[in-house]
Amino acid sequence: MIGSGIKRGTAELAVLSVLQDGPLHGYELARRIEQQSNGALCFTLAALYPMLYRMEQQRLIRGSWETSANGRRRRCYRLTPAGKKRLSPLRREWAELFRALRRLTKVEHA
Amino acid sequence: MLDWEGLIRRRLAGLRLDAAEKGEVQEELAAHLEETYDRLRGEGLSAKDAVRDTLSQVKDWKYLREEICFARTKEKPVTLRTKRLWLPSLVTLLVSMVMLPILESLGLKAQFLFLKGPHDRSYVFTVYTVWLMMLPFVGALGAYLSRRAGGAHSAVIISGIFPALAFFIALLFVLPFMGFLEHGLEANARSVFETLTNEPFGRIGVMTGWVLAPGACLFIGVLVCLLILRQLTPRDIAGR
Repeated sequence: MIGSGIKRGTAELAVLSVLQDGPLHGYELARRIEQQSNGALCFTLAALYPMLYRMEQQRLIRGSWETSANGRRRRCYRLTPAGKKRLSPLRREWAELFRALRRLTKVEHA
Repeated sequence: MLDWEGLIRRRLAGLRLDAAEKGEVQEELAAHLEETYDRLRGEGLSAKDAVRDTLSQVKDWKYLREEICFARTKEKPVTLRTKRLWLPSLVTLLVSMVMLPILESLGLKAQFLFLKGPHDRSYVFTVYTVWLMMLPFVGALGAYLSRRAGGAHSAVIISGIFPALAFFIALLFVLPFMGFLEHGLEANARSVFETLTNEPFGRIGVMTGWVLAPGACLFIGVLVCLLILRQLTPRDIAGR
């Protein structure tokens, strides 16, 4: 499991990357991140929603209420054009960081 | 079936957002908890364990409240506390302190109340009647400023009655220590000090005159302010 300090830094990238595939509500978003990272990244309710609200304030994502097939009202989040624009430099920055860390620590994929 | 929305409403009761926004946050978080609970039950957990694991997602509800508020209003909890509590309290204290010499300079002097105490001793208490009559407005001002910044009831009340609390702390802690400097005290401060330290009857009198009576007057102002603002949402108030 990844520590909370590193996780906080990757959170924005994780949310934007997952939302690139389509709109999701908060619970689905957290589950998708957990599944796609093989359980390495888990966002609890307490970590997820303040982050989503912050990203919404920054206009990187937009939330709107929708009613699902079972009649439940859910707030779905989707990427905004600003969010899409933010994703590519963010990916580049993280890729660069990982390359640098690999060189530094000599950690390679098995 | 568990009332997740009711639980979230109770835990996030102090969330300082306007009613509609608060309702949306509560509904969204309740839905998240409900889905987590349903999944855990589906995975075979007992109802009790599922509730425990669902709620373990939030370790500190107060912190979550502040984080949500910060995220949605772009203001840090410390800034919010300053705006909602310390700034209105300081204004209330300053206005109440400045008002006293201003009223005296306008010729509205204090009245003297003569009371017979134990052992047939006479006590003279200074009563600033006009000042006391003005204090509800000061209390209302502090309460209004705090409420306008989105202060909770506790912050609103403390902001409104803050001068009385400050006087209380001053009388309780500062003046006794000033005994070391007794000779340097001005005559009226020395008399307050002597009454406080030597005479139980005097102590009650000074406490009433400087803490209880001003506190009650300020509190009346706070109550009136809260009653007037009761019908308005924080957004209405902030828009003023």
